[in-house]
Order: sequence, then C-alpha cells, then structure tokens
Amino acid sequence: MRKATLSSLSVAALAATAIPLAAQDYTDARVAVATTETISGYNPYADPVVLMGSVWCQVYGCVTRYDFDAGEFVPYLAESVEAIDELTWEITLPEGLTRHNGEPVLAADIVHSIDYMGNNPGSGKSFLVSDWASVEAIDDLTVHITTHTPDATVPDNLAGVQVTSKALFDELGDDMFRQAPYGAGPYKMVEVSIGQHMIIERDDTHPMTTPNNPAQIMYRLMPEPEQRVTALANGEVQIAQGVPPQLMQRVRDLPNADIATTNSVEMMFLAMSPNTHPWDVLEARQAVVHAINREAIARAILQDQATILHGPVSEGQIGFDPDFTTPLDYDPAKARALLQSVDLEGVEVTLSTPVGRYTADRQIAEAMVPMLEEAGFTVTLDTPEWATLWANVQQGNVPFYYMGRGSMIDPSRALHQYFATGGSPRIGFSDPELDELLAAERSEFDGEERALKMQAAIRRLVDQAPAAFMWQHQMGWGVSKDISFQPRPADRADGWEIFVN
Amino acid sequence: MLLYFIKRLAGAVPVLIVVSGIIFALMQLAPGDAVTMLISDEASEADKARIREAWGLDRPPFIQFLNFLGNALTGDFGMSFRYKMPVIEIVMERLPATIELAVAATLIAVGVGVPLGVLAAARPGTAWDAIASAFSFAGISMPNFWLGILLILLFAGYFNILPSGGREPWGLGVEHVTGFLIIDSILAGRWDALGAALKYLALPAIVLGTNMTGIITQMTRAQVLDALREDFVMTARSKGVSEARVLWRHAFRNAMVGVVTIIGLEFGMLLSGAMIVETVFAWPGIGSLLITGISSRDFPLIIGLVLVYTGMFIVMNLLIDLIYTLIDPRIRMN
Repeated sequence: MRKATLSSLSVAALAATAIPLAAQDYTDARVAVATTETISGYNPYADPVVLMGSVWCQVYGCVTRYDFDAGEFVPYLAESVEAIDELTWEITLPEGLTRHNGEPVLAADIVHSIDYMGNNPGSGKSFLVSDWASVEAIDDLTVHITTHTPDATVPDNLAGVQVTSKALFDELGDDMFRQAPYGAGPYKMVEVSIGQHMIIERDDTHPMTTPNNPAQIMYRLMPEPEQRVTALANGEVQIAQGVPPQLMQRVRDLPNADIATTNSVEMMFLAMSPNTHPWDVLEARQAVVHAINREAIARAILQDQATILHGPVSEGQIGFDPDFTTPLDYDPAKARALLQSVDLEGVEVTLSTPVGRYTADRQIAEAMVPMLEEAGFTVTLDTPEWATLWANVQQGNVPFYYMGRGSMIDPSRALHQYFATGGSPRIGFSDPELDELLAAERSEFDGEERALKMQAAIRRLVDQAPAAFMWQHQMGWGVSKDISFQPRPADRADGWEIFVN
Repeated sequence: MLLYFIKRLAGAVPVLIVVSGIIFALMQLAPGDAVTMLISDEASEADKARIREAWGLDRPPFIQFLNFLGNALTGDFGMSFRYKMPVIEIVMERLPATIELAVAATLIAVGVGVPLGVLAAARPGTAWDAIASAFSFAGISMPNFWLGILLILLFAGYFNILPSGGREPWGLGVEHVTGFLIIDSILAGRWDALGAALKYLALPAIVLGTNMTGIITQMTRAQVLDALREDFVMTARSKGVSEARVLWRHAFRNAMVGVVTIIGLEFGMLLSGAMIVETVFAWPGIGSLLITGISSRDFPLIIGLVLVYTGMFIVMNLLIDLIYTLIDPRIRMN
C-alpha cells in the first residue's frame, strides 16, 4: 500500500514568499468582480454555485484545495492530508491556527463541518461526505476519515469542506453563519446582500495574502453579459466573469481591459440512454459520434473558444492522455454505414437541449440536427425550459440530450455518476467492464498509477459511446489592466490570485 | 370612509387566499422540482429524499397548502428553499427597491405622458399631435429588455455618465433606515448619496416608465379630446373663458378620472414589467427575486411574492378610489 500524501510545501512556500513582502505597504485597492450567478445567502454549505463555493473557502478555509500550478490537491487549512491505510485518511491541522476572531481551529471543527454537510437539511453538498463510514477527532489537531472502500477522491471532496466553528455553532446554531462568520481563510467576511453582492476583506496576517492582493473584493451579480462588459469598460468592475465569444473582441478593443481565457473543465456531451431505443444499439450511439463535426461547430459557433474532447477530459485533468484520439472521428459516411448495418437508417430520435444554460446551446443543437440527419437519423429538436429538462434528465426520462458536467478536475465522481452502473438514472448506462475499470482507478492512491487506470476506463467509455464527448468551453474573463489576474479553470476568482498593479 | 376602507381590506383576505391556492396549484402542476434545482447535481437520491422531507415536500400537496395557509395567517410565509431565510424577511429587504423604482417610473410616465397627451389633444392633427403619437407608439412598442440593453450601452458604455446596473455604489455608507435610498439619503443629509442614488435609478426608471408613458399619452389625448367636445366646454368658450383655462380647468380636470384609472392599472403592469428591468439592470428588487424563485422552483418564495404583488394591486386600487373623490366631488363612497 503506497501512502498518498498531500504536500504541505505549497502552503509553506506561500508563507515564505509572504515574509519579505510583509515589510511592504499593503494596498488598500478594492476590486469588484461581476459574476453570473446569484448569491444565495450566509450558509456556505447551502450555496450550489461553484464560484461562491470558492469564495466561502476564502473566508472559512477549506481542508484542501487544488493547486493548478502543481496539478494536484494540496492542504489548505490542513498541514497534511494523507492516507494511512486503504480505508483511513488522516488530516492534521497546524498548531496555532486561528479564526478571524482569534479562536483556535480544532479537529472538532472539521468533524462538525463534515457532520453538518452530511446531515443538516441546510446543506446542499452532502454528496461530498455522505459515503464516508466515519469521521473522528483523534486529538485537537488530528482527524481520521474512514471510508467503506478505498477512495482516492477524498482530497477532492475535502476541497469542498469549509471549516466552520463547532463552538460558535453550539452557541448560535444556524445564526452563526450570519452573526459570526469567522473563518480562518485569507479573506474575512464583510457583507452579504442576498442576490446582489458579497464583500470580503483581506486578512493581512494570513500567509496566503500578499501586499498586492486587493484589500476588499466585491462579488457583484450582473446577469447580463452586455452589462458585465459595459461595467468593465467604464471601470465599475475590474473582473467580468463569463464573457461570451461574441463579446470577446469588444473587450479586446477596450483601452482599459483585456480578455483572459481558461478551460471550463466542464465536459459538454451528447448523452444517449441505452434504456431507450435506438440507444440500446451500440452502432447507433457510435454513429452519433461519427456524425457530429465538432471542429466545424467549435469554429463557426464557438469562435474557437473551445477545446475539442477525445474523451471526457482534456489537458490538466486526471486521466488525460495526450496521445489518445478518439477512434470515432467525424465521418458521416461511416455513421450512415453503421446505422444501415443495424437496419436503423431513418430512425426517429428527439434531441433535447437547454436554452441559455450553456454557451450557444440552442445554436449548437440546431447545427447538430442536419449533421445527424445526414448520417441517417430523423431528428426532432426539443428545447424545454431548463428546470423541466433538468428534472426529467435526473429522473432518466430524456433519452438524447446535449448537456455539460462541471467540477471535473478530478473526473472520478462525474464518471461514476454518469457512467457507472447505478451511478444515476441520467443515462442509465451499465457496462461491467467499465465498472471494474472505474473502481480500479478510484482505489488507486498513487497518482501516476491512477492516471493510467483512469485512461483505461476512458478508452472503454469512448468505445462504448454512452455519450458523444464534444468539447470544453474556453471561458472568457474580462480583466482590467489595473490588475493582474489569470483565471483558473472551474470558475474561480480567488483574492490571493488577484494582484493590484 | 374608514368603514369603507375596512370593508375593502377585509374583502381582500379571500382574494389573497384564492390567489395563493391558484399559485400553489400551478406550482404543483408545473414540471421541474425545487430539490433538483437547488442542490448540487451530484446529490444522491437519498440526499434528495432527505431534503424533500426537511422541506415538507414529501407530504400530500393539500396538506402542504393547509400548512402554508395556517402559517401565512400568522405572517409566516415559510423559509425560502434557495436562500434559507424567512420569505417575509427577504421580501421586506427587497420590496423598497421595487417600490422606489416603480414610483420613479410612474413619476416619469405621468410627468411626460400627461403634458404630451394634453398638448396633442389641444392641437389635434398638427405636427405636435403627430410627434406625441409617434413617441407614444414607440414607447408602447419597445421591449423593455431591448431598450434597457441599448441605454446601458449608450449611457454607461459610450458616454460613461451613468452606471450600468445595481442600486448604489460600493461603500455609499448611508444607513438603510427605510430601505428607500432616496429617503434615507435625505434623512442622513447626504446630498452626494442622493445624487448617486438618482444616477443609479435613472436608467431603470426610464426604461420601466417608457411603456407607461406611451399609454398615458394616448389615454390623456383621447380623454381630453372627448372632454373638449362636451357641451360645458362650448358653454365656457361662449362665455369668453380663455383657451388655456378651458383646457386645463374644464377639459383636463374632467378627463383626469379616466387618466387616473389608467395610471392605476398601468402601475400594476409596471410591477410585472419590473421583473425584466430589474434583471437587466441587476436591480435588487422583488421582480428579479421572483424570476430567480421561479427558475429555481422556490415555492414559498414564489407564493410569498405573488401575495405581495396581489396586496400591492389591492392597495393601489384603494388609493385610486381615494383619488377619485379628490378629483371629482360627485363621486362619494357609501
């Protein structure tokens, strides 16, 4: 059994770099970030929005975080996180770690936070911790997590665990989130205005902050892309999330701002449920993959702001193999031949797509229809309202749909959820060989070995084609020239990565 | 008079109950599910079942409705699924923003529409009449979201003289006593804050008021034209009363009952239009809150907000009845 250890070097390195800078004056500049999704409230466990999850991690601190430069999960609040045997993970807290109100951060806080996430009705993230067998404080600084089966995704799950105070919760209950939002992260909570904005303030004593990080950051809801770009242009905000492809040139032309792009780490795919005909036929599913000209769609509709996928992952994600290309390349003649071989030419299918949920989703689906028809399908396009489509997808009632799945830096959870037997009804796919390969990658703690096992699972997945993997969107961020900010994948705008020029 | 108002308010209670029943039924019939919309897409079926139970969604719909009604009668509209806060608290926090916007839009619409309508009626068939008609038809025809984006691009983007959205600048520092920023700024004696609040209010209020301006212009023109054809106007003119006095004292005053009626009705329409305008301008009112509530199937929030809208309609109708008596003494309430 190899030990999996999350290095504490990155935190130490950050602390070390902060020491000489501490002599400098801290900037009092404020930065406003225009965001696309609403701010739910004070409870960090209740907010389903990815970006807000990372903001709450800045306030409370999460047990781990993903280091995009190192390409691995590293300790965040913790000093170390390591697997001490196949079923047990040990979290060690550093000595002397305190919250913004001076209270110590203890192992009991981690146990309490995991318990709240798993069991409290106010939590919307119980999936992160509900599969664990037990969580126990060994002493004030040590926590043991026991899993039912070997689980290499524990560090990934811990990146979503904001560590709130047990003592404050015992005193105030849920009112703690509003009355005493004291965390141990690099930024302190200043103000939440539900559905409007959230303001956080730099903790100058925190080792992850530097003098050039903004003194305050306001995450401000601006649902309309035109408004976000205009606000960037006139200096109301310094960062604009979600600049769509058609507005990128406008931002590039601004004298005071520029565009930065990053991978969304969200696989866009066409799902085909084998529980319904003709998707129970392998050749029909493979014909769909052959039928779609992904390069043409990415070029014409997405204006090249997309990374073409040969499987569910791309560069930077666990399991990516740069040498792998899908054998199911664009070939309408082969698609038609496959359909003819199983006597399905002309078969009627309904393609469902959300409208306005993903970049150019409707236009993309409309472009897919003639491609599918060229391959021999007779296609009806269905464009239901998102809430309706999403509820039906979750119940397994939509046979053929275009959709995305984010939060896939470690793709294991997503692949299990969509493609393992019993993972969810969304596709309803079942393949014992794939199940075995997915189980093998999840129980492998050595990073390199795990990547190889993940690659094997992905090859099987691509071959069986329960989904046609399309692309990952390149997300555009408008960034003022007054600051330096390189956006990270998966919708993050962390204060310690924003620098005032 | 007081008895009349008490009767009218008492009559509103069954209206509110019926409205809440209809909304509740529609929510039950609507596809989609609050739990799937509001928790992570990674949640297991067991997680969803647990949350469904916690939110009371596992009970029969009729029982859910009775529970809601029982609590609502005590002023408790339940907890928002999305925001995890009492609905009444969220609504009261956001309501002043919507009222401030609606009142500003109404003032713009009345301030522009009424004089324009009177001017058109006083000079029918002239260029003034044509300009007023063209203006009002344009106002009626333009979609709010289109005009909103256009004005953002023009005044916030190109001229950079007004903010693109929101309600107040960061760090305004005015204590929210009433929730109405204009009033709070005046109470605090902060004229800079008042100026900032007006700048943020300008674009959404103009957009929201544009449609209403067109309708009021048309309505005022028609009502004043009708009044100008009445016998009492001819009598006034034959007695040598000046044309301005005939227009404003005799014709306009008689036309006001119809104009006030349309203002009242349009105020209701304006509240529904505010949903779009608030979304486009990121205005933190109850309109954008309702849009968020509907898209996430947040039933308690939706019902709470619809009841607030209904209540505002009822109050508005009462106010109009009161204004009738002020305009036309012949109208009496028994």
